[in-house]
Amino acid sequence: MSTEILPAAPDPTTTDASTGASAPPRRRLTALDLWQSIGPLVVCLALFALVVVLNSAFLIGGGPGILTLQATFILLIALGQACVLNVGSIDLSNAALSVLSAMVLAMNLSSLGPLALVLSVALATLVGVGNGLLIAYAQVPSFALTLGTLGVLQAASLVISDATTVYVKGSSTLLNPLFGTAFAKLPLAFWLSVVLAVVMWVVFRFTRAGESMTAVGLNEQGAIFSGISNRGVKVLAFGLSGFFSGLVGIMIIAQGGAASSFGLGSDLLLPGIAAAIVGGTSITGGRTNPLLVIFGALTVALIPIASAVLHVPATAQSLVYGLVIIIAVALTIRRSAGSIIK
Amino acid sequence: MTTTLPPRGPSAAADTPALRLTGISKVFARVSAVEDITMEVRQHEVVGLIGENGAGKSSLLKILTGIYQPDSGTMESHGRVVKFRRPQDSVAAGIGVVHQEQSLLTNLSVAENIAMAGVSLKDAGTKFGFYRWKKLNKEAESVLAKVGSTVDPRAIVGDLPFVDRQMVEIARALRVDDALHVPPLLILDEPTSVLERDETETLEREIRALKDLGSVIFVSHRLDEVMRICDRILVMRRGRLVADRNTADVTQDELFRLMIGHGSRAAKRPEAAALRTGTPVLEITGVSRKGAYRDVSLEVFPGQCVAVVGTIGSGREELCRAVFGADTIDSGQIKVDGKETRNWSMRTAVRSGVAYVPAERKVEGMVGGLPAADNLTLAYPGAAAFGPFLSPGARKKLVSEWFETLDVRPNDPKLRLERFSGGNQQKVVMGKWLLGAQLKVLVLDHPLRGLDVGASETVNAQVQAACSRGVGVLLIADTMEEALDMAHVIVVMRDGEVTARYDLSVDAITALDLLEKMV
Repeated sequence: MSTEILPAAPDPTTTDASTGASAPPRRRLTALDLWQSIGPLVVCLALFALVVVLNSAFLIGGGPGILTLQATFILLIALGQACVLNVGSIDLSNAALSVLSAMVLAMNLSSLGPLALVLSVALATLVGVGNGLLIAYAQVPSFALTLGTLGVLQAASLVISDATTVYVKGSSTLLNPLFGTAFAKLPLAFWLSVVLAVVMWVVFRFTRAGESMTAVGLNEQGAIFSGISNRGVKVLAFGLSGFFSGLVGIMIIAQGGAASSFGLGSDLLLPGIAAAIVGGTSITGGRTNPLLVIFGALTVALIPIASAVLHVPATAQSLVYGLVIIIAVALTIRRSAGSIIK
Repeated sequence: MTTTLPPRGPSAAADTPALRLTGISKVFARVSAVEDITMEVRQHEVVGLIGENGAGKSSLLKILTGIYQPDSGTMESHGRVVKFRRPQDSVAAGIGVVHQEQSLLTNLSVAENIAMAGVSLKDAGTKFGFYRWKKLNKEAESVLAKVGSTVDPRAIVGDLPFVDRQMVEIARALRVDDALHVPPLLILDEPTSVLERDETETLEREIRALKDLGSVIFVSHRLDEVMRICDRILVMRRGRLVADRNTADVTQDELFRLMIGHGSRAAKRPEAAALRTGTPVLEITGVSRKGAYRDVSLEVFPGQCVAVVGTIGSGREELCRAVFGADTIDSGQIKVDGKETRNWSMRTAVRSGVAYVPAERKVEGMVGGLPAADNLTLAYPGAAAFGPFLSPGARKKLVSEWFETLDVRPNDPKLRLERFSGGNQQKVVMGKWLLGAQLKVLVLDHPLRGLDVGASETVNAQVQAACSRGVGVLLIADTMEEALDMAHVIVVMRDGEVTARYDLSVDAITALDLLEKMV
């Protein structure tokens, strides 16, 4: 890397005058700062406590296991979405992509073994990169482009599955440990996705690529004028989103042993966005914390359980869903950025 | 509106101040912005408010206009105690403001912009929510006439020159008066910083004329201007009011000392010797761009500062942006450090050691939502990173060194850059490029625009330091004096062509000589 240039000696006259002012001011963690950094955690715990209080059987009856199983899918898709949201874009095709990659995996798992996993994730990542390239170079807005990709991917999975369910041929035990083994009573798959969230946190906080993504999300023009490749950054974000869709594909097969266009994973788009936002990710870009997205995903996964405990009829479940998201975002959103409303 | 002022009673005598502040303070979580301000603005008086960037002028104005609420102290408007909970309250008390950055909506007409300041829908020339264009335009015309402007109310603001826009802003701020029948208090926040010289003179005349209508608070950092326009001058330093002087009893030098707390230093011209040696770091040969410039050639040697002067429309901005890859060229050749530029983009420019400090600082120069520290290492992260990974320890050390060198205030690198004052933002934007070892060409587009004396000195010193380590500087200066002060070579452009070239180590020239070649 380049060597560092020592700054020129400070001008004595100016430093003289400013010694008083240049002493570091006291740094206070305000209640607001604190709330913004742990708000999603508090919302999640509050909802969890509500469920446990109203139905104490939840803890004994393996409730946490079921909850984290659901959350695994939501978390993985939300991590990809958080990357894309952080650069100021949105990916509407991620759930359709995970269904398609699950089908590819189901068709090849018994013949190719572990290689099939690599193949399906690689395929999903490539589709993501393709999304990114089209957005970066053809300058199609991400909303429009991924809406198009969504249609294409749905059609592709209908065609290759012949509009039926694709089962894993023969028997493969390769993926059984994902949901078959448990640590601290929670499935291995959930712990793996938590580890990935930590990895993404490291990426955003401690890598140049992560910082570039945030910079582009905050002020694309300013980032370009500092020599950051906004195109590279967008391709990276969509590539990551594709990668996570591929991982969700693996989870679909691991859990259900089959994939279909309308089955497991096909309705993950909105929960994924909701989990990212409830986890404090800004939908206008430049702000995300993958660690909080974990709690966003848990909150979103808790909603159907909480509404069952509250005896909300199944027909009105989306009411609870909507309310929780509105309240959670209203409580945790960062308002200090100003009064501009998007 | 929720509050309207009652008509002024007999108690409000002619000598009641238009505005009186007593012990106003405002502390933010990290910085004390304004401390114990006690001041008065009399009726029909022009008061100057001066201070360095970050002295608290902007915060005080935000309190006066209801954007911030003070933590303590009282405000009185025409003898009545007032509390501004939001900007509309301040408008209702007859306070109009013309912002530093123009706040007109450029895609709407003059009349529409003026109507928007209306305090009630009835006054805004609407009926059932629809514009009554005739009434709207007529009202706008009468408001404009009051400030002596003849701008067509139907003109789209975006098509107007800056000075006319400034007049529209003033007219808009004065609409407050029209609707409320209170003598207005007009706040002008550095209204001349975007204007050219002759436009400034027009504006000065208008401001003096405004005295008949009401009172004016004139915020600026150009001391000569403040001395010419104002009756009385208030000086702020580090959040406090440090002086209140009648213009007649004070000298420019004294004001300067009050403002920055130390005397002015004479600008040092660096040694101009041996500056035409080696390979030019920047060599422009016969470049043209349709509608901007034709067949321009110039070269910048290591350690040299070349200023390009010219009026608006001379093509100098476009030329400098092309060097950084922010604009394309139609023909010709640009060589950086002897290597021809191909597929030139901002990314390749940065990687080849070309840097650009843009005039549009907030949009192009920085990522305001990121901390100042991250902005400093945004362009050349190499010095504070280990391969693809950031190295927080190395960054902290690097950033604190540069914060000290550039005298950035407040010295809090973790604060988001958008929270710093303009001058301190500019220091960080400069530092972002200066800390790179690979820096070869530094393109400065109006680097001192909107900066006070202290910040200008820091930026100047850093430009000289960069020159002395062999960086070539291409400068677009705000004024000709600035160009003569900083540059070794001056290139004059007119209508997209180079009309003259002076080597200041040989040619003794004045601003007048330059002006002759410019127009």
